[in-house]
Formats: sequence, C-alpha cells, structure tokens
Amino acid sequence: MNFLTLIRIERKKIKHSKIFFILLAAAIILWIPSILNVHLNFEMQAEGISPEHNFFIQGFLGLSWFMFPASIIIGTVLISQTERADNAILKMLALPVHTAGLCLAKFATLLILAAAQVFIMTGMYYASAALCSAMQHYNFILPPLFAAKEAALLFLSAIPMAAFFWMLSVCIKSPLFSICIGLASIVPSVLVINTDAWFAYPMSYPFFLITSEYSRLAANLETAQAELFPWIPVAVMITFICLLISCMRFGQAERRA
Amino acid sequence: MYIFLECKKIKHTGLLPAFLSCGMLAGAVPIVNMAVRSKLYLSGQGSPVQILLQANWQLMAMLNILAVIAGTCMFYQIEHSERALLKMRSLPVSESTVFFGKAVLAILLSAVMLAIEAGAAAFCVYYWFETGNVFLSELCQSFGYAFLLMLPCTVLSLLISEACTNIWISLGIGIVCMFTATMLPADSFFPSLFPYAVPFQIFTDTEAARIIHYIYATAVELVILCLAELLFIRIRRQSA
Repeated sequence: MNFLTLIRIERKKIKHSKIFFILLAAAIILWIPSILNVHLNFEMQAEGISPEHNFFIQGFLGLSWFMFPASIIIGTVLISQTERADNAILKMLALPVHTAGLCLAKFATLLILAAAQVFIMTGMYYASAALCSAMQHYNFILPPLFAAKEAALLFLSAIPMAAFFWMLSVCIKSPLFSICIGLASIVPSVLVINTDAWFAYPMSYPFFLITSEYSRLAANLETAQAELFPWIPVAVMITFICLLISCMRFGQAERRA
Repeated sequence: MYIFLECKKIKHTGLLPAFLSCGMLAGAVPIVNMAVRSKLYLSGQGSPVQILLQANWQLMAMLNILAVIAGTCMFYQIEHSERALLKMRSLPVSESTVFFGKAVLAILLSAVMLAIEAGAAAFCVYYWFETGNVFLSELCQSFGYAFLLMLPCTVLSLLISEACTNIWISLGIGIVCMFTATMLPADSFFPSLFPYAVPFQIFTDTEAARIIHYIYATAVELVILCLAELLFIRIRRQSA
C-alpha cells in the first residue's frame, strides 16, 4: 500500500465523525463578534491600520491564539480514539503495512483537518466581510491572494505544534492526560510570545506569526517581527524529533499487550 | 453508597492526578507572576487578594474550565467505551443516580483543585504582602464564590458528555463553548451568565448586590440543568 492509499483510508475512517460541524461552529462563532463590533474597525487610527486589514487580522488573532490549537487537539483525539474503539488498531497493525507509514498517514490526516479548519475560517471571513461591506457601505473585502497567503502562513506555522500534539496522543495512552497536557500547553503561549525564546515553544508559533503580521500591517505598532533564523531550523528540528518519537512509539503498547 | 462505586471506576482513569496537577499548575500562575513582577503588584491599589485575583484569575479560571471539560469527558468516556452504560442499565440503579453520582464526584474534584489554588494564593499573600492573617476570610469567600460559579459549567459539561457517545464531540462542544465564553463581554450581566463564562467572575471586583444576583442565577442554572438531565434520560429511554 502506498502512502496516498493509507491517507485515503484514514480519511474514510473519519468520514462520519461529525468533526466538520465542530470546525464550522467554531468559525461561525468566531466571526459573530467581529460582525457585531464592525464599527470599531474605523477607530484604529492610533495603530495606523486600515479598517479592512484590522477586520481580517482581529478574526485571525482570535483563531490562532486558542481555537486553532484546541481544534488540532480535538483532531488528535478523534484520530486516536476511533482506532481504540473495539481494538480496531490491532486489526490495522496486523496488516502488512509499515507502522511508521501508518503513523505518518494519521499525522497527514491531522494536517488535512487543520487545513480544513483554516479553509473554513477563510471562507467564513469572506462571507462576513461581504456582509459587513453591505452593512457599513465600505469595502471590507481584501484581495484573495492576501487572504490566501496569511491562511497558508497560519497553517504552515501550526505544523510543529501539530507534530507535538500528535506525539502526545501517541505516547500517552490515557486520552485524559494527552488532552490535559495539550490544552494546558496552549494557555501560556500568550506569555511566551513576549519573551525572546518564543521559537523554542511550538504552541506559540501561530499566535506569534499573526501578531507579527498585525504589527507589520499597523504602521504605529512595534512588536517583534518573525525572524527566520533561528526559528525555521528549530521548528524543523522539533517537528522531526516529535514525528520520530511518535513513529517509534506507535502501536508499541498494543503489540506488547 | 453509589458514589463509592464511581470512585472505584475512576481509579485507573487518572482523573485525580489530572485535577491535582491542574490545580498545581493554576496555583503556580500567581506564584510565578509574583516572583517575576512583585514590585508592580506590591505597589497596586486594593487588598492583596484582590490584586492577585485581578492579575491572575483569567488564566487560572481558564485552566480550571479546561480541566473540568476534559475531566467530565472522561467521566462518561469510560461508560461509553465497551458499552458499559448498557450494563449499568441492567443494574438496580437509576440512570439519574449514575449522573448525579458522577456530578458529585466531579464537583468534589474541582473543589480539591480550587483548594490547591487557594493555598497557592495564601502562600503568595503570606510571603510577599506580609499582612498577617487578616486576608484569610476574604480568600475563603473568593474561592468559595469561585467554587459556586464553577458548578453550572461542571454539570453542563457532564450532561454534554453523557449525550455524546464520542469523546471528541463532547470535547469539541466544550472547547467551542469555552471559546465563545472568552469572547462574551464580561461586564454585562446576562451574557456573563453563560455557564462557561460565569467562572471568570471575580468576587472582590463585584459589588455585594451583584454577587447575590450571580449566586441566585447560578442556583437557577443548576436547577434547570438538573431538570434537563431528567428530561434527557426520559427522552432517551423512550426513543431507545
């Protein structure tokens, strides 16, 4: 079985999981306050950001700080728990498939879920921007290229974090602990982005990136910019180590039992 | 007593260590904050407990709610997996007893968590503010109030996790509800009554009349949630 077939099988498994309703609900709830408080976007002269950019970036800040990491955790729970029910994972491990390949296919499915979340979010942004443009007689809609670039950056910056959460869910058998450690690790990211060592903490990447985009768009705001060195090498290292550990540990507890 | 059976069930789920460690983590928030920025807080206006809670309660309440959401998901996950709930139904125990047994246990665990946090706050006041023992009644009132406001959120999460067979759905609903709560305006009364938003309220920042309103509102919410649970069991039995 090649890798693409494995991913297709994984996608089939989560087809009836209703996870998309949760992702959609999160995206809708996120944009409602932005639509209700749309007039505040015109009062941002002190920061020097245009109303349409402010509308866009505030929504994405709300997503990147908590809901996006949390929905990746929900994704890891979904992927690992569907297999644990009725010991389905044992049947998968009995197949002539390399366990590391199986593990990576599951991780790829997790990334697909994260990409779907970003995609739904961008779609909801265009719907709410169109609504606000009609309400305020001001064009809030940004060019698709800009929105796509920001969305892609958000997704890419979340890959190390997703690898970390995936490692947690593979290594810790009790779902309670992997959820608790994951959720608890999101909360301090607000504090970590203000320190110099933010690049060592993968859970803060998406929020840091969107914050630095905010200060790039706002002329009068001075916050730290995302510098590629040492960020990218550290991020690649963290991703690699997390995936290596999860590939090594995948299915080990089940095989021993 | 039925509750001892529930205690036995959660023995190997790790619920107790999870709540304990979450309490310790949330308790570490004010301690670390004071250790790093004690000058800023020592020069602040108001009583020590008030300063501490204003600076840290947002983060601590968020950790508490997350622990409650994850914990309550686990309470019913052990019943839903391997269809243990069906076996429970064949016992001479009513389903509502199962629910309220779990609810009492979850509430006890969250009380333990809050007690650890109160201990950490007491340590902070003792160590940095050096005001003697006068703060203790204020501290007890603050955390007692926090405990009361936590109840609707606990019962509602438990109800959600009973209704959803799959743990990721109940976890997802809980997280989305908490996310909604962080975006509601905290100063207006009715939006802040949302069960996941009300634990963010601080005792020392609220005037006495408002506190009474919150306590009444929490009691009403609890009664509504208990009735909803009884109704839910009846509907599910009829549709099954």
